[in-house]
Order: sequence, then structure tokens, then C-alpha cells
Amino acid sequence: MNPANLIPTADALTVHWGWLQFLLMLTFPLHLFAMNAMLGSALAAFISHLLPGRQYRELAHQLAKALPFLVAFTVNLGVAPLLFVNVIYGHLLYSSTVLMGLFWLGVIPLVIVAYYLAYIYDFSFKKLGNIAIFGIFAVLILLMSVGFIFTNNMTMMISPASWSRWFNTPGGTLLNLADPALLSRYIHLMTGSLAVGGLFTAVYSVTFLKRDREVAKAGLKLGMQLFTWLTALQLLVGIWFLITLPSEILKRFMGGNNLATGLLAVGVVLAIATLVTGYKQKVMATLWLTLPLVYVMSFMRDSIRTGYLAQYFDMTKVPTNVQWSPLTFFLATLVFGLIVIVWMLSKLPKTDKV
Amino acid sequence: MNYPVWYVPTFGGGLLIALVAIVHVFVSHFAVGGGLYLVMAERKALREKDQSVLDFVKKHTKFFMLLTMVFGGLTGVAIWFVISLIHPAATSLLIHTFVFGWAAEWVFFLVEIIALFIYFYTFGKMDDRTHQTIGWIYFGAAWMSLFLITGIIDFMLTPGAWVTNGNFWSGFFNPTFWPSLFFRSFMSFMLAGCYGFLTATFLEDEVTRHKMIRYSGIWALVSLLFSVPSGWWYMSVLPDKARTLVVGGSPTIATAVKVGAFSMALLAGLVIALILLNPKARIRSMTVIVMIAAMGYMGAFEWTREAARRPYIVNEVMYSNGILKKDVERINREGFLKNAKWVQHKEVTEVNQLEAGKELFLHQCFVCHSLGGMNNDIINRTKNMSFNAMRKYLATIHEKRYFMPPFVGNDSELEALAAYITAGIHKKTLIEDNAAAGDRGKLLYDENCAACHTADSIKPKMAGWSRDKVRKALDNLPALNPAMSDYNAPPADKDAMAGYLFGLNNPDVAAPSKVVGATLFEDNCAACHSLDQIKPKMTGWSMEKVRASLDKLPALNSAMPDYNGTPAEKDAMADYISKQLGGAK
Repeated sequence: MNPANLIPTADALTVHWGWLQFLLMLTFPLHLFAMNAMLGSALAAFISHLLPGRQYRELAHQLAKALPFLVAFTVNLGVAPLLFVNVIYGHLLYSSTVLMGLFWLGVIPLVIVAYYLAYIYDFSFKKLGNIAIFGIFAVLILLMSVGFIFTNNMTMMISPASWSRWFNTPGGTLLNLADPALLSRYIHLMTGSLAVGGLFTAVYSVTFLKRDREVAKAGLKLGMQLFTWLTALQLLVGIWFLITLPSEILKRFMGGNNLATGLLAVGVVLAIATLVTGYKQKVMATLWLTLPLVYVMSFMRDSIRTGYLAQYFDMTKVPTNVQWSPLTFFLATLVFGLIVIVWMLSKLPKTDKV
Repeated sequence: MNYPVWYVPTFGGGLLIALVAIVHVFVSHFAVGGGLYLVMAERKALREKDQSVLDFVKKHTKFFMLLTMVFGGLTGVAIWFVISLIHPAATSLLIHTFVFGWAAEWVFFLVEIIALFIYFYTFGKMDDRTHQTIGWIYFGAAWMSLFLITGIIDFMLTPGAWVTNGNFWSGFFNPTFWPSLFFRSFMSFMLAGCYGFLTATFLEDEVTRHKMIRYSGIWALVSLLFSVPSGWWYMSVLPDKARTLVVGGSPTIATAVKVGAFSMALLAGLVIALILLNPKARIRSMTVIVMIAAMGYMGAFEWTREAARRPYIVNEVMYSNGILKKDVERINREGFLKNAKWVQHKEVTEVNQLEAGKELFLHQCFVCHSLGGMNNDIINRTKNMSFNAMRKYLATIHEKRYFMPPFVGNDSELEALAAYITAGIHKKTLIEDNAAAGDRGKLLYDENCAACHTADSIKPKMAGWSRDKVRKALDNLPALNPAMSDYNAPPADKDAMAGYLFGLNNPDVAAPSKVVGATLFEDNCAACHSLDQIKPKMTGWSMEKVRASLDKLPALNSAMPDYNGTPAEKDAMADYISKQLGGAK
């Protein structure tokens, strides 16, 4: 069966595809930042339990306080890019979603349990005593398994060739395990996330925890070590991911496509630069290098998707019936919402320590 | 047909949507109304300088944050996940139409969680005025989420002018938008009062407990009173067909409306009793009853809204199975399978009839009908139908029962689906027919009535009826039950069915009407040869000869199978054929 025959017809867009692509590429890295901070602080908290000393115990406690916020923002900031993916790639995404329906629905209970565990870990930190380490470990594993489910769907939706398995297995129990780039992609994503999460731990420690110098120092050290070691490992994992990609996509990054090749070059340079600053424990310098790095990685990810879909789908060819007013309404709401948020946050310093 | 189907035979997706939606509806409405409740209760505490009430509000906020932000937020995402899994085509239509409505809702969701975090974590640590403002921002953002989602949800019920102009705002401010928004707002305030009720019963200080129970009770009661006229307004703007369904066109829907009204009355009575009459009734178990009643009211309303949309997922635009109304004629002409993406059989052949039928079932029926599960089990609902009855039923399914979508496809596809349901699921033979039992009345009953009620279920209701009374009832079925449509058939058919129905309670009297040769011939012979074709071959045959030949058909023509009718049926058929031959005895 020709895989292209299975691809549903895409519905018409209401704005030029460029707007949707712009909003997708703008909001997805925001989700990544929150998600990285969430996973990284969970890992740092877990490791803190294993290290001796009051400062690590307190560091874990402080990370516990941050975790529910991070889960909430990861979910919220995930909604926007998922919405725009739904518009551009909905016909592909829904198809793969049906194929793995059972796992996809599993995301919800997994996140709910992880979320409540994070709250228990926060609110009952002292009461839990030594059991706390198991709680935070469970949170970490649950959230990482959610990532695995997402990786499956995001790769299966760009691989229509794998879809005909539905005819024999229509119960929503399929995953994309046969894809040679699945595991390397997932490990690549997790390594990067945990590294950036380590950086978050360091930033959080030197800003919000600076009153307790011991704790701030412990957080800085642990966070930056996590960042540096995982980023060094990431260079190897990244190569592994690249070579598991189909050759025509690999070629995009090896001179076949100027933009893709340029992104890879910039990405590698930025990553090496962060290794240097990370090794020297220069937190803010590393942060300013990492922010664009995450954007570069998102763009590379998008380039890979375009490569996979080259023979199946071209978003520029989807019919468009332009309506400007809904977009204007959204942009106005966004500006208004951001003003309100900034105002609310501006009121925070007047209060005692939160 | 554009998308694959998540196929777990015993587990219909509709049930999953209902479960997730019900949970989310309660929590999300509570999140909206609760926002207002928190700010108003805090204001009350500040004005009265009552620390115990302020402590109560803070405690309530924590519970509120854990329930609405975690559970409410994630069940909202869950609805999105579930509908894209069960109704991918409809989800795509909605997302493409309202992407920026949803995007704006995301902004309010973001404002909402930041405001709630600040509100909770700065309780008692921020100046009162600013803290109250943060609370108002939370409520405003939550209510705006309700505002935006109401537009999209009610678009599905009444898409209004969008159908012709495709304009975002026409779809958003659709005919049911405003009444629905008012109704939902009051519902959310009512639920907030109910939750406040419940949490107030946990207060240890007696004075504060009574104070907050009274306060919450007045909230619930006032909101409830306002919800009644807005609910009535909502009902009055429903499109005609939907309103007919809601006010009694379908028995199950009518029941749901009654349950809703009953819960509402119960709720109002209990609240009034609790607040005004008896302070001793201010106990937790009573508040739990109130809570359940409130949820019943809300649940019945939501269920009704969902039901009133049938057979569409977007009224008059897209059927529940994802087929666009505007495509039906074309697909009927060209064939469904030819137009479907996720099928292996592009047309029906003799060899693939059952497999193709299953694919048609999967893409047109499974979204609402499980196979042996709790959700509209197709096995149970079609057990009384023969292949012929099913075939005829499918051909006019939407006309006979408005809330079922029409079968979409060509004749051979319709037969394939009927074959799959009768021969594939029930293992009936394709030529098998209830008429083989010899009763034309029974056949007509199966074709026209058995889909909704079995003969056994209506038998007791007709006990003691004369044949004439049964016959007259068939002339005006809606008088028996408004959910039934008129039975438009020639008098002879009605006579036959009346005879059959009368015979259910009077087997001896009605027996002669049971054996009708014409029907037997039609069902057992006519598929290969008409009576006119065989008449010349039987010229001069006596009835005995006709009767005897029915016992050994292969002897007449080796291509003919044996006729396995009972002797009485063979007698009846012989009688019929010989009469047609010219009255030979």
C-alpha cells in the first residue's frame, strides 16, 4: 500500500502558513525551557538526596518548592505549540495519535500522578523524610516516560510508511519502535533537557536561594556539573542521533541544505562555547548562550521534520482562506495578557519571601 | 473516512469522551465560579475583619488550586486528546476554524495560573487591595476561558451563519452563544457555592462554620434561581430539530431533561431548608446531597446539549462519524470505500463483502456503537433484525430515526454493511429472514419497529387490546409515545402488522394470519426468479404437484437449493403459487 494514500486531506488554513509556523517556532522552545527546568530540577533534587550535608538537603527542599510551578508552566506552555502543530500537521498527528491511542491517553494519568506527587513532595517534604527520594524519583521517571510517548507520536506522525500497521493492529497499541532514529532522538532530547535543567538549577540557586550561601553554592556546583557533563555527553549522543537519521535527511545537515547545515554549525559552536563557560561555572554567560542554542535545536528539529515529510506533505500548498480579525484578536489578547502578567509579577517584590 | 479509527470492539470512544468531559465540566465550571467566590469571601472577611473567615478562604484556595489547576487543567488537555482520538475530522474542523480563539484561551489560561499562584502564595503577605485585585484578575481570566470555550462548544450545536459565510465571528457568536454563556456562568457560581458549602462543614469554629455555610448557601441558591430563566432562554433558541429532541422527541433525552429538572428542584429545596429553616441540618451529609444534586443538574444539561446535536458533531455540517453533510450525495454516487483513505477494500465484491462491510461499520457506526460493550452495543441492538430487515432499515435510517446519521455509500456498500451486521456479527444466513416463519406482519415489524423495541417489550403494553384497537394505534403512533414517528405504510401492511401484534397476546386466534405464501416466495425464491418467469413452466400443475415439488427442488433444477420451510410454510407457498397460476386446487 502506498503510504501517501493513507494521508488524510488537510483542512484549509485561515492565515498564511507562515504565521502558524512562526507562532509554533516561537512557542515550542518556551515549552522546552519549562520542560527542561522541570526535568532538570527533579534530577538535581534526586541527586541532592544522595549527597551528604545540610546544604544538599535544603537544596532538594527548595527545588521541591519550584517543581509544581514548573509542571504547571510546562503543561501551559505545551498547549500553545501543540495547538499550532494541530493546525499545520493535524491530519498527520491525528492519524498517528489513533495508531498509539492507548499510550497517548496514558500521558494524562501519568502527568496527573506526577503533578500530585510533586505537590506532595513539596508540601510534605519534611514529613516524608527519607522516603522523599522515592517520590522525586517517581516524578522523574513518570515525566520522562511522558517524553517517550511524545517522541513516539512526533516521529510516527512524520513516518506515514509505518501507518499501514493499523490494519492489523487497530487497538491503539502501536509505537514507533522500529524507527532506527527513535531511541537516539529520545536520548538526545532527554540528555539536552537534563543538561539545561542542570543550568536552571544553577540559575535558580544563585538568584532565588542566594540568601543561604551554602545552599546557593551547592546548587550552583551541582547544576553546572550536571550541565557540563551532560552537554559533553550530548555531543556524542547528537552524533549518534545524526547517523541514525535516514541518509537523505543527514545530507541536509552535511551541505545538502544551507539552512540546515548552518544551523548544525551554529549549534555545535554554541554547544562547545557553553561547555567552556559551563566548566568555568559562569552561570549567566552559559545561560545567554543556551537560550539561543535551544532555539537553534528547535529549528534543526523542524528541519528534520520537513525532511521526513518532503515526499508527503508541503504546508505551503495547503489552501488558505484568510481571516485577519481572529489573528488580530489573539495578538491583542497576548499583548494584554503579558501586560497583566508583568503587572502582577511587579507586585511580587513588595511581599515577603514567597 | 479520512482518518483511521481507534478500534477496541467492546470499548466505544463515546463513553470515554463522556467520562472525561463530565469530570472536566464540573471542575472547570467550579474553577470559574470559585474564582469569584474566593474574592467575594475574602472581601467579606476583610470588611468584617474576621480572621477565621480569612483563614477559611486561604485553606479553600489551596484545595481550589490543587483541584482546578492540576486536575482541571489536565482534564482540559485530556478532552483535547480524547476528541482528536475519537473524532479526528471534527477536531481538525474546529481547530482550523477557531485556532486563534483557542490561542487566546491559552493566554487566559496562562494569566489564570500565574494569578492563582500569586493569590495563594501571597495570602497574608501582600497588601489587601493588591491581593484582591490579583483575585479579580484570576476570576476575569477564568471567566474569559469560559467565554471563549462557550463560543466553540455552542458552535457545534448551532453553527449559525458560519455554514454559509465561513466567518470566525459568525460561528463564535452563534445563536446559542449568549444564553449558553449566561447559563454556564450561573451554573459555575452555583457549583462554587456548593463546594464552599462542603468545605465550610469542615470548619471547627461553630460561628464561622454557620456563617460560611449560610454565605455559600445563598450563593448556590441565588445562582440557581438565575440559572433557571437562562436555561429556559437557551432551550428556546435551540434549532427546531434539536428542540424536538430535547423536549421529548427521544425518550432517553426526555428522561435526561427530567432528571436535570428533578435534581434542580431537589437542590433548591435542600438549600432553602438548610439555609433558612434548620441550622441543625447544616451537616456534611446534607451538603454532599446538595453537591450531587447540583452535579446532576449540570450533568443533565451537558448531556442534553450533546444529545441535541445528534446525528451531527457539528450541527448540519458534519455527522458524528466525521462525514460532511455536503459530501453525502457525491459519496452516495461514487461509493464510500472509493473515497475513504483508511480502507483495504476500495469496492465491494462477492468475495470481500463481509470484510468491506466491517470497514464500513468501522468508519460509519463504531464511533457511537461498541461491539458487545456498554456503549450502544450494536450486537444487542440488531439481534432481532434479519439481513433484509437491516438492509431496508439502513436505507432510511436517518429518516426513520433522525438522530442516526444516514448510511453513506452506494447500494452494494449498504448491502455489505447489512451483511456484516447480520451474517458477520450475528452469524445469520443472508437469505434467512423472519418472514421464513411465514409472517408478513412480523417481517414488517422487524423492519420498522424492532430497532427501538422488541416485540416482547411491547407485548405486555397491549394485553387485552382488540385487533381493531391495535390496528387503529398503528394509524397514530406518536399518540402512544411522542418519540415514535408515524408508520407510513399501505393499509394492507398495517393490517398484517396488526395481526402479528394482536397475535402476540392471542396466539390461537391470530394463527391464521401467520402464514403468508407471498412473503415466503419473495424471501426464498424471488432473488433468483420472479413468479412470472416460472409461471409458463408450471402451466397446468395442480396444487398437490406444486406442494410436492417444494420438497425436492433440486430435482426440478440442480442449481436450486432445498427449501427448508416447515410443512405449513410449504403449504402456504404452494397455495399462493397455485392461486397465481390460475386458481388450481
